[in-house]
Amino acid sequence: MVDKMAIEQVRSLEFIASRDSIIHNLEGRVKLVAILLIILFTVFSDRLIVPIVLECFLLIVMYLAELSFKESFKRVLLLLPFGGFVIAFQPFIHPGNIIWQGPYSWLFITDTGLNWTVLLFARLLVCLTAIVILSSTSPMQEVVQSFRKLGMPRDLAMILTIMVRFLFIFVDELRDIRQSMTSRNFDPFNDKISYKWRVKQVGYSIAMMFLKAYEKGETIYLSMASRCFSDNSNLYHAKTIIGKSEYIYLAVIIAIIILLELLVLFYSGNLAYLGVSLSL
Amino acid sequence: MHIPDGFIPLGQCAIYYVILIIALYFAGKWARANLDEKRIPLLAVLAAGIFAIMSMNMPIPFGTSGHMVGGALVAIVFMAPEAAILVFTAVLLIQALFFGDGGITALGANVFNMAIVGGFVGLYTFKGLQGIIGKYPSAFVAAWLATLVAAVVAAIEMAIAGTFPLTVGIASMALYHAFIGIIEGVLTVIVLYALEKFRPDLLAWNRE
Repeated sequence: MVDKMAIEQVRSLEFIASRDSIIHNLEGRVKLVAILLIILFTVFSDRLIVPIVLECFLLIVMYLAELSFKESFKRVLLLLPFGGFVIAFQPFIHPGNIIWQGPYSWLFITDTGLNWTVLLFARLLVCLTAIVILSSTSPMQEVVQSFRKLGMPRDLAMILTIMVRFLFIFVDELRDIRQSMTSRNFDPFNDKISYKWRVKQVGYSIAMMFLKAYEKGETIYLSMASRCFSDNSNLYHAKTIIGKSEYIYLAVIIAIIILLELLVLFYSGNLAYLGVSLSL
Repeated sequence: MHIPDGFIPLGQCAIYYVILIIALYFAGKWARANLDEKRIPLLAVLAAGIFAIMSMNMPIPFGTSGHMVGGALVAIVFMAPEAAILVFTAVLLIQALFFGDGGITALGANVFNMAIVGGFVGLYTFKGLQGIIGKYPSAFVAAWLATLVAAVVAAIEMAIAGTFPLTVGIASMALYHAFIGIIEGVLTVIVLYALEKFRPDLLAWNRE
């Protein structure tokens, strides 16, 4: 019932993100802005050269961050399903020149559809790799604090900060629920048990989780209020300095983006398929 | 239903972000007026709980499985779609940034579907039906309809973006989410029933 992958991911992510490497040690805001820039430019461009170069750059970042390529791409693969499902239909649903005709008149692949499929897949791959790198090199709290430092409204930033702290408590709760159900041989995917009964048990677990979350929220408020929390309070954020390595990292990314845009603008004819606009 | 990065052009993403910012402004005003200074810890911990609830998978007939979204549930518990907007903005942002579930550029669209559309459809369906068919049946219909309409809106957004044809998108998303919505409806009713039994004071309908 409880998604084991999600639990393990939350637990292992913080551990991986707290390691020591050139990328891990960069200031949180810089890592966040860098990844956002890469995602924005990937989504903006419709030339294949852009996601290919950015993916290569991200692989170098992954190497510098001493992340396991195997584990990182396993995570990317796990994130693909919904996007991959939508992408899988793309070659067949867009009008264009037919390049493959199936046994039925409605089953065909067009050049426009195929180009769009390639572009969407490349975009998705770069964006997911970027997210995997961000989440593997920055603890959640660091990212949330970076948002606040970058000007996120106080209320939302505080909600995120407290939410991230309590996420791990609820992940532990989920693990306990999973263990206690397994120890009682309960499996909601077991067809031999009445479906109605299974739904009821899952519903009670969700109700319990909701109730616990609400009550914990009230308790936390009371404990914060007893420590003088008020509407004017702010959460403490450690001061961090943006140094030379941060400037270099950001400059490299901005330089790559500018060079790619210039390449697309003035030399796309020399890039063959990589320089062709693949949008619909 | 979580739209990933790259599926919606940046110009359209910007429009959904503007909608999100306006929605957050009004949701923030609502929270300040109705939850006072309790709003931050309460909504934050509730968001963490909702995040955990979204990790609980349930088998659905025909060999698939799904998880609860909870947009309608949060809106009904607080009798305000604004609560769903605040909670789901936090949940979806964390999901997008750390788990790649939904895109960063598509965050505005995802919050629009699951929290704004889901919350409003859920709450106002519930309000409209509770006098006619009773609390729990109307909560079931509200949660089912919220899931269905949110999925259809996601299909429309992808059609506007040119990623998926409108009719095929609506048909496939509506069909799949019509099943998922049944589970969403049943689980919403069970949670509301349990809250009514153990902590009726938490339900805004008992305070109105």
